[in-house]
Amino acid sequence: MPFLLSGEYKVTGRDSLVFLVDASKEMFIKEEDGKPSNFDMTMQVVRSVYTSKITSSYRDLVALVFYGTEQSKNPRNSFKHVYVYHDLDEPGAKRVQEVDELRGSKGAQLAAKTMGSGETSLGDALWCCANLYSDIKLRLSHKRLMIFTCRDDPHEGDSVKDRQGRTKASDLRDTGVIINLMHLMKPGGFDVSLYFRDIITPPEDESDLGLQLEPCAKLEDLQNRVRAKEKKKRVLNRLNLCLGEGINVAVGVYSTAVPARKPPPIKLYRETNEPVRSKTRVFHTQTGSLLLPSELKKAQVYGKKQIVMETDEVDSIKKFEDPGMFLIGFKPMEKLKLHHHVRPAVFLYPEEDDVKGSSCLFSALLKRCSERNMFALCRFTARRNYSPRFVALVPQEEESDEGKGQITPAGFNVIYLPFADDIRTLDAPQLPCASQEQVDKMKQIVTKLRFKYRSDAFENPAIQQHFRNLEALALDMVAPEDIEDLIMPKVDQIDTRLGPLVQEFKDLVYPANYNPETKPATTGNPEKKPKVELPEDELRAHVQNSTLGKLTVPVLKDACKKFGVRTTGTKKQELIDALIAQLSS
Amino acid sequence: MDVGFSMSNSAPGEEPPFELAKKVIQKFVQRQVFAETKDEMALVLFGTDSTKNPLEQDGQYQNITVHRNLMIPDFELLEEIANQIHPESQQADWLDALVVCMDLLKKQTEGKKYDRLVIVLLTDLCTQASPDELDIIIDNLKTAGITLQFFLPFPAGDDEEGGGDGDRGGSGHPGAGKGLSREQEQGLDMVKHVMLSLDEEDGLDEIYSFRNALEQLCMFKRIERRPTAWPCQLTIGSSLSIRIVGYKAVMDERLKKTWITVDAQTNKRDDVKRETVYCLDDDNETEVQKEDIIQGFRYGSDIVPFSKVDQDQMKYKHDGKCFAVLGFTKQSNIHRHQFIGNQVIKVFAPKDDEHAGVALSALIRALDELNMVAIVRYAYDRRCNPQVGAAFPCIKQHYECLMYIQLPFMEDLSHFTFPSLENKKFVPTEAQLSAVDSLIDSMMLVEKDESGEQKDMLKVHHIPNPAFQRHFQCLHHRAVNPGTPLPPMEPWLKAALERPEVISERCQAPLEEVKRKFPLTAVEKKKQLKTSAQIFGKDTGEPDAKKAKGDEEEEDYNLADIAEGSVTSVGSVDPARDFRTLVKLKSLPFGEVCQQLTHRIEQLLSNKNTHYYMKSITCIQAFREQSVKLGKADLYNSYLQSLKRSIPNRGLEVFWDLLVQDAVTLISKDEVEGSTVSKNEANQFLITDEKKEEVAAPTTEDTGDVDDLLDMM
Repeated sequence: MPFLLSGEYKVTGRDSLVFLVDASKEMFIKEEDGKPSNFDMTMQVVRSVYTSKITSSYRDLVALVFYGTEQSKNPRNSFKHVYVYHDLDEPGAKRVQEVDELRGSKGAQLAAKTMGSGETSLGDALWCCANLYSDIKLRLSHKRLMIFTCRDDPHEGDSVKDRQGRTKASDLRDTGVIINLMHLMKPGGFDVSLYFRDIITPPEDESDLGLQLEPCAKLEDLQNRVRAKEKKKRVLNRLNLCLGEGINVAVGVYSTAVPARKPPPIKLYRETNEPVRSKTRVFHTQTGSLLLPSELKKAQVYGKKQIVMETDEVDSIKKFEDPGMFLIGFKPMEKLKLHHHVRPAVFLYPEEDDVKGSSCLFSALLKRCSERNMFALCRFTARRNYSPRFVALVPQEEESDEGKGQITPAGFNVIYLPFADDIRTLDAPQLPCASQEQVDKMKQIVTKLRFKYRSDAFENPAIQQHFRNLEALALDMVAPEDIEDLIMPKVDQIDTRLGPLVQEFKDLVYPANYNPETKPATTGNPEKKPKVELPEDELRAHVQNSTLGKLTVPVLKDACKKFGVRTTGTKKQELIDALIAQLSS
Repeated sequence: MDVGFSMSNSAPGEEPPFELAKKVIQKFVQRQVFAETKDEMALVLFGTDSTKNPLEQDGQYQNITVHRNLMIPDFELLEEIANQIHPESQQADWLDALVVCMDLLKKQTEGKKYDRLVIVLLTDLCTQASPDELDIIIDNLKTAGITLQFFLPFPAGDDEEGGGDGDRGGSGHPGAGKGLSREQEQGLDMVKHVMLSLDEEDGLDEIYSFRNALEQLCMFKRIERRPTAWPCQLTIGSSLSIRIVGYKAVMDERLKKTWITVDAQTNKRDDVKRETVYCLDDDNETEVQKEDIIQGFRYGSDIVPFSKVDQDQMKYKHDGKCFAVLGFTKQSNIHRHQFIGNQVIKVFAPKDDEHAGVALSALIRALDELNMVAIVRYAYDRRCNPQVGAAFPCIKQHYECLMYIQLPFMEDLSHFTFPSLENKKFVPTEAQLSAVDSLIDSMMLVEKDESGEQKDMLKVHHIPNPAFQRHFQCLHHRAVNPGTPLPPMEPWLKAALERPEVISERCQAPLEEVKRKFPLTAVEKKKQLKTSAQIFGKDTGEPDAKKAKGDEEEEDYNLADIAEGSVTSVGSVDPARDFRTLVKLKSLPFGEVCQQLTHRIEQLLSNKNTHYYMKSITCIQAFREQSVKLGKADLYNSYLQSLKRSIPNRGLEVFWDLLVQDAVTLISKDEVEGSTVSKNEANQFLITDEKKEEVAAPTTEDTGDVDDLLDMM
């Protein structure tokens, strides 16, 4: 393949996001029905972005700038009515607290006191933001600026200021800053075409122009809108989907569902709480001299024999081919088995910038596969030195909701398929089936407990708790905020809903004396297994016949203790190795 | 294994049965060794010159040798097979050998737990066997629960029920062509008799030919793990529970062993010691004791110390093992591409609990009939965090179960929006679509055969993981042929990963058509960072990066100097570079060099063209940089001020805008002591002017028109 592009595109630099928030009087007007003011809503969103950045991507830089203020505060104080509340930096506990201070009616008071509302010059505000970007000494990979306002005509007809604003916006866009508008409710409607259409970055393609022209009225909507924009699409890698010799479609691989994990801990020096660095040295046990990588080899033990290889041989074993996707053929969708699942799927979208014409061929394949209800079977090598996997490319058509937001984009979902090794053989127990009467009763139960599943409805309680704990420690809170465990069954509600159905079902399937909560009377030995102790000769016999693997870990551990074998490991193989070393010498 | 003299007989050009039988055993042992099964194996040879077995007495059971007792196979055994086992010159009764094996199994499995007892006989059946005790032997095999397998040099039979490889029989098998000897025919009849008495229906399936066996043994065993039962209760609300047992059914399998690091000289693991030390991030890299280290976590820019004890106390806790229904939902609400985790769990009722079976069956069938799934909270045990997942109904011919697959948490999802593909530029034409259609037709992997049954040409889940096959192939090679380079990939493995041959032939023409209909051109990628910098100056104006870059360039110039000879004046090709070189060489006074440079800048500016503007800016940047370095601000500052004054007259506004964007300011006191310009003035230098200009502009123009502005850029 002539141009496999993966690896050439390493993402370097940090993402950055500037919140440019209107601080005019209009922003502070409270809705009559007790709903928060536009300003309050914006601060809530800013806070949630701060905390989500902290949890998911703390290296991103975030800034909070107000315009239309009375007071001015910016690095060189060269701009009037622009108040840089936070300059571009990594978000931290202090900043979260400072945003908190601006929330609610107290927040409005504080804002009035420290910043006030005054004249508006969007041009100055944008220029000031441009300076924030240029003052950063780090390389920025993604620059975004979000304007939060409820005024569609900020300069009230002042054409000079209008013009200045446009110039500065265009300057910013030219330096790669993406400008988004988060327009909020305004009595009489927010007219984007009045002014802001010229300020924001035009959408990625013309057909998107209609997207999100409605202002945000609800906090949730605003949060979703911000969340959708706030994260940059990160392409995992770009490679070619090869249909045949010389037919390469450039595609980007994106991951849309990856299990979020608790971030790894950092080691700190107890006295000063400063992070420590770890250095790992490899040296020779006898001579004590440091060993270079070239003085090391890799080994595995099989059948009592140590098999040794060079380090680069170990790598070369893993390599089959260069990264890429190779089309094998097509199959009808019903051949894709539900249980053929080995890892989360990834998403495929054409990269017109790499190979011109990719989008057209990709689109044709997608269309035909979708209409004919087929998937494409491909061989997929994701990275260098990765072995190939077979994948199913399942077509997905674009879907939008009423608000013209995209629910699902058009593209292929890449489903990883199992190899023979991944499928285990199970002995299914032979048990009687339920009668139709029993099934019907259960159907009533199922119908009573129907709900509409949404994939984003459940938060991970373990991760949420971890971050609440950190938040409490970082912000000196008395106790962490309570989390709601959303994946806990709402037992009371379920019970009320089902009412007598449960007992009716139980009467149908369980005999009177049956209790599923208790363990059935075990037919084997009821008393707990006595502690097994192994006589020495038996152990030696096991060593001799290399049947130590048959013993259980506790027995092996006992044996280690008995023979004074010092073990560091707890893995079975390590215990076995240690015992063999001791007893065969 | 029969090693008797007839085993080494073969037709010319054919491998003797002895060699084939040996290969079968070797392949089998290799697979066992690498699969690290706990299966034990003994090796009994018959037809040996000597006799060594526990039953030998009074001339009975002669020429039978127990070569190795029952134990886990290893490389030692492989080496013995390779080096110590040779064809010998005696013959022995294969039924006698069978009895020795039965005796060995009986004695050596005493007190051991086992699933299965198997005796595998590899022989050519050339010796006369006495059928006297055949029935007793069969009875004993039955009572001991021993299974028999025969491996013969020829296919088991020409008749219809002729065993597992009947269809493969023919000239490929030595012996089959020239017909069997009388002894062999008698022997085969006896073998069939034994096998059919042990298993009336499938007994003959356990008779294999050497060749057939070798083909099947060529790949390494797939990784097998004994399924571990996970007993739990499925609960719906507080009072409905069903006893269940879960098993992992599909799992992203990994190799069991990892590489260990050994010393290259001695190959010993113990000679290598890895030690991790911790140190502060200061100049001395002060080492810190392990006991003085605590854990912390990042909270944005802060690091929060958080001891392990506190973590344990504050962490999310739950009640342990659980499979609790949260509710039920339509299967269509669950999207396959949102499956998460790396396994599928099948959930059955316990095999000894009929009532649980019925209850679970009712749930499975109810879900199946309603096309719904259960959304459940699943926790493996107290130590593991709970998950949310879907339990799908699964009804097969022989069993029913629920299949549990993990679903994402909100935190796991990233919602990306992509531009629509319905864009005019990308919408394929009818002709293009029909080219794709014929490609799909030609590449269909599932087809109906003559009988109307669907045939899948490539069942991916029947292919062993190539990574494991290759891994074991290389390990095996290294173990058996130390000192030689690793072998190429096995051809069968390579072929298994390719398109089926039929497909690759059939799709040639449609592929050519697709190639014609869809022009694809690779875009030459330029280095992105450079281009943007070239057009609009540095977008981030990174002083540090700039400085570093300057240093780098300096290195280059020095090298260039040596290569090209010395620079004598600021030329027009690369004035900024010449300027830097001359300042460094100090061959001319600084003022003189500056004058030469400003001369070139003025020349460049007289061409009203963005390209020349950019070049001028690099000159001014070099001017500034060198002035700061030498601490001489005056020349630069006065030049820039006069340049600014001349902008309106010379119509150089566009150039000035570029200069502003690059934030090329005056040199302030803070940078160079002798400067008369304050930091504020330096910064305002660009700003104030801009404002003036902005104020002046609208008087001559009407309301700002966007297009005009864009043109100006």
